[in-house]
Amino acid sequence: MSVIKSKNKNLIYPGLNWFLIFFLLPLTVILIYAVTAHSLVPGEPLKFTFSNFAVIFQKKHYLIILLRSLKISFLTTIFSIIFSYPVAYFLAKRSRFDKVLIVVLMIPFWINYLIRTFAWKLILSENGVLNQFLLWLKVIDEPVRILYSQTSVLLGLIYMYTPMMVLPLYASLLRIDNSLVEASQDLGASRIRAFFDITFKLSLTGIFAGTLLVFIPALGSFAIPAILGGTDSVMIGNIIENQFSRVGNWNFGSAFTVALAVLSIALVLFYSKIFGLESIYKNRDSS
Amino acid sequence: MKNKSSAILTIYTVLFFLYIFVPIILIFIFAWNSGEGYSFPIKGFTWRWFAELAGDRLAKEAIKNSIIIALSSATISTILATLLSIGLLKGLSRRTGVFLTLLILPVLMPSLTIGIAALVFFRTINFPLGIPIVIVSHVSISMSYVFLILMGRIESMPLDLQEASVDLGASWLSSIRDIVFPILLPAIIAGWLFAFMISWNEFIVTYFLIGGNMTLPVYIFSQLRFGISPKVNVISVLITLFTLSMIAILVASRKIYSKILIKERR
Repeated sequence: MSVIKSKNKNLIYPGLNWFLIFFLLPLTVILIYAVTAHSLVPGEPLKFTFSNFAVIFQKKHYLIILLRSLKISFLTTIFSIIFSYPVAYFLAKRSRFDKVLIVVLMIPFWINYLIRTFAWKLILSENGVLNQFLLWLKVIDEPVRILYSQTSVLLGLIYMYTPMMVLPLYASLLRIDNSLVEASQDLGASRIRAFFDITFKLSLTGIFAGTLLVFIPALGSFAIPAILGGTDSVMIGNIIENQFSRVGNWNFGSAFTVALAVLSIALVLFYSKIFGLESIYKNRDSS
Repeated sequence: MKNKSSAILTIYTVLFFLYIFVPIILIFIFAWNSGEGYSFPIKGFTWRWFAELAGDRLAKEAIKNSIIIALSSATISTILATLLSIGLLKGLSRRTGVFLTLLILPVLMPSLTIGIAALVFFRTINFPLGIPIVIVSHVSISMSYVFLILMGRIESMPLDLQEASVDLGASWLSSIRDIVFPILLPAIIAGWLFAFMISWNEFIVTYFLIGGNMTLPVYIFSQLRFGISPKVNVISVLITLFTLSMIAILVASRKIYSKILIKERR
């Protein structure tokens, strides 16, 4: 019996080696770049330094961008929760066509996100659809400038990642047993109290899983601020791209990249400590 | 009271779906607009932008490259992920948790970090940028997704099936080929399509590794940076229609397979 298992076990090696060589090794290489001061030359001893990381916190310019990226990603997450909660609730508790609607909701996710970003450029530009609409409604007298600002980046990110919040939220709401809510109401809780004490608390797993799926990609976004943003909305991703395609300081660029990676891995580990990684797989299954 | 809140929720959900789909519909509308700008009212109907795209050599090159990259990376990653998932879930008895955590990293890490890491790595070992390393990096990303898709199916398959076939005289190889593989097939097909779509849409990693070449997303990005032309709308329309047909194929293949299963059980 165990012969089969041990033969099966050998099947992991092609994939595992690929993963080690082309995924983990490159990550190790940028980690080395991040803690050294020069480029890697075979045979030369490594000189370790933390100055690359120190620069991020010493130069005000970089610190501002780091904090701004965190702020924009945080706001994206908050808005995506607010926007998607009623929808997820409706789909899980009030709709009979929820399975179909979830599939429909995932369609834009499969359309290239540059195309969707482009759509927002059309909507937000000075003589774009939104301005025309507002002028027609007589809400404004002259076109407002929204494009190339932090607001337009935020609008783009919220649009892009809110469906990612709906999915896990819907899955967690679906699992809640309605009789729990009914029991709390029988015991005298108001509808609002029952919602916050039962439904909302039990949906927290979904909110946290969604936060991973929204916050991390938002923090690492680079195309959306590059297309929709201006000088006041440069994010970590744009700094990193700049370091590699123009400035050419690999050590500093790597330090920024490692900071981004560590931040996201820390979030994932923190999440798996509390809820277990299985809940991520399970939530993804429902998609 | 309950009806009233239900009505509000329904209206909100309709508005939400409009919010998600109106931007995409707008792109479609302007692909056939004969006016130069992007504003209402629509001036007239035209196929001009389609004709212009058809004459764009760079766009055709980009489409070709995207297809090559997506086909090869999806195939490699599906093979690797299938073997890996069988080995990990039906071979390894301990420490699977560590592997699972490692394997989910490409899914949860920003693709920017993956792209930069690959760029630095391949430049350090002096490997030239271009299509081959884009394929390699796409495989590293999509392998995890295919693995996740296969996982559910493999976990529900008891090891006894494979053991029984070996007890009855099958070799290990034929137990994999004739027992395990057919059971996994629907998940393998779904995984391949998924991997194809990931590679087809992937922009950030490709952008850093493609060198002087073009893929569709990189082409769109370059168009968006140098002002916008309705050609981008046309290409968006084509990609969207292609995507929708892929989704339709995925859904249909699942339906057909489950029908076959039901018939077999009878």
